[in-house]
Amino acid sequence: MPMLSAKDVPTLLRKGGAARVAAEAPAKFAPGDRVVVRNLNPRGHTRAPRYIRCKAGTIDRDHGVFVFPDTHAHGKGPSPQHVYSVRFTAREVWGDDASPRDAIYIDLWDDYLDPA
Amino acid sequence: MNGVHDLGGMDGLGPIDYEADEPVFHAEWERRVFALTLAMGFYGAWNLDMSRHARERTPAAEYLSSSYYEIWLSGLERLLDEGGLLTRAEIDARAAVLRAEGS
Amino acid sequence: MGKHRHTEPPSDLVLRVKALESLLVEKGLVDAAALDVLIDTYENKVGPRNGAKVVARAWADPAYKARLLADATTAIAEFGFVGRQGEDMLVVENTPGVHNLTVCTLCSCYPWPVLGLPPVWYKAAPYRSRAVRDPRGVLREFGLDLPEDVEIRVWDSTAELRYLVLPERPAGTEGFSEDELAELVTRDSMIGVAKATLPGIGVAKATAPGGSGEAST
Repeated sequence: MPMLSAKDVPTLLRKGGAARVAAEAPAKFAPGDRVVVRNLNPRGHTRAPRYIRCKAGTIDRDHGVFVFPDTHAHGKGPSPQHVYSVRFTAREVWGDDASPRDAIYIDLWDDYLDPA
Repeated sequence: MNGVHDLGGMDGLGPIDYEADEPVFHAEWERRVFALTLAMGFYGAWNLDMSRHARERTPAAEYLSSSYYEIWLSGLERLLDEGGLLTRAEIDARAAVLRAEGS
Repeated sequence: MGKHRHTEPPSDLVLRVKALESLLVEKGLVDAAALDVLIDTYENKVGPRNGAKVVARAWADPAYKARLLADATTAIAEFGFVGRQGEDMLVVENTPGVHNLTVCTLCSCYPWPVLGLPPVWYKAAPYRSRAVRDPRGVLREFGLDLPEDVEIRVWDSTAELRYLVLPERPAGTEGFSEDELAELVTRDSMIGVAKATLPGIGVAKATAPGGSGEAST
């Protein structure tokens, strides 16, 4: 693996490191679906924060297929799958004292979600 | 992992410490840590998810009491050490040499 | 994470970083000239003035705004603002009824090509913990008190999508050129902790954090 040289920096920065992949993967969910975040507690890397686990929300958008960090961080491959923007009401996440109007949108992978 | 980095909703972490017109880097060592981390990322021994996880594995008390680029440094050292590229002992030894030279 | 330091940190840290760099260079793992290009890019070449141009065009040109909301990555790429930590962009529009706020609770994810590197407060524990829990309280701390009937949407950047807030265009800017409009767009308004305002008009803040007064790149 060659060392990064100065002349390559601009090109590499412009290219970026896309996590979106061209792989086909079935989408388990569609916008409008009600979902619940699984009770996952992996000892390794995950991008499902504790505050959202076991909470119910609505699929707002399907972003497409991306690398899955939970496996990718541990050399277990990209496991490409759909990532969704999921809307959770503030009250769903924090309880009845929370704002009745506000919401959290969080990007979550297929493997984090079950149908509600 | 259920680490302290997973901060959403946690209480007791204090007021937001806003600095108007702050510089991109607050010290030369921050510039170097930033650049070393990106350069080693391009080297290709690990991916972005691995490097995030390496930062997350900074011990909890250290994570909460560290500045941002101190956490990057912690993560980078962890990746280099686990990747067999450079050990913390080697860094310690070199730092001691630099200190003795009065750098 | 503790307070960021304004003065030189303990010299142990400085020496350690020097030790690390010298060893990586000696082992042929990094090239010093490449490090300098990386630093120069993000210290001097990329910053919120990029995002301000995008916002200004969206305000001035309804067709551009439509493209931006439909496919932000492509629309932002019209300016050449592409690459690392901006490979997949989404623009979320503030309206009189909806105010958007972005955060990365887990680390510090931020749309580098349009905003540069994030400020310390965005990456630190207080904002990361409170933005999702109490966005109204956070905004009040930034001097922005939103009416109860405004819906606040907090976007937690857990994946590789990167979010840019399209602030509302301030009143009284009819006839402004794109350059004049861009001058009104602050970094904080594109994160969502402030509105874009005309200087001297709008929210006056007696206490820190100031929020919308930021002028540097």
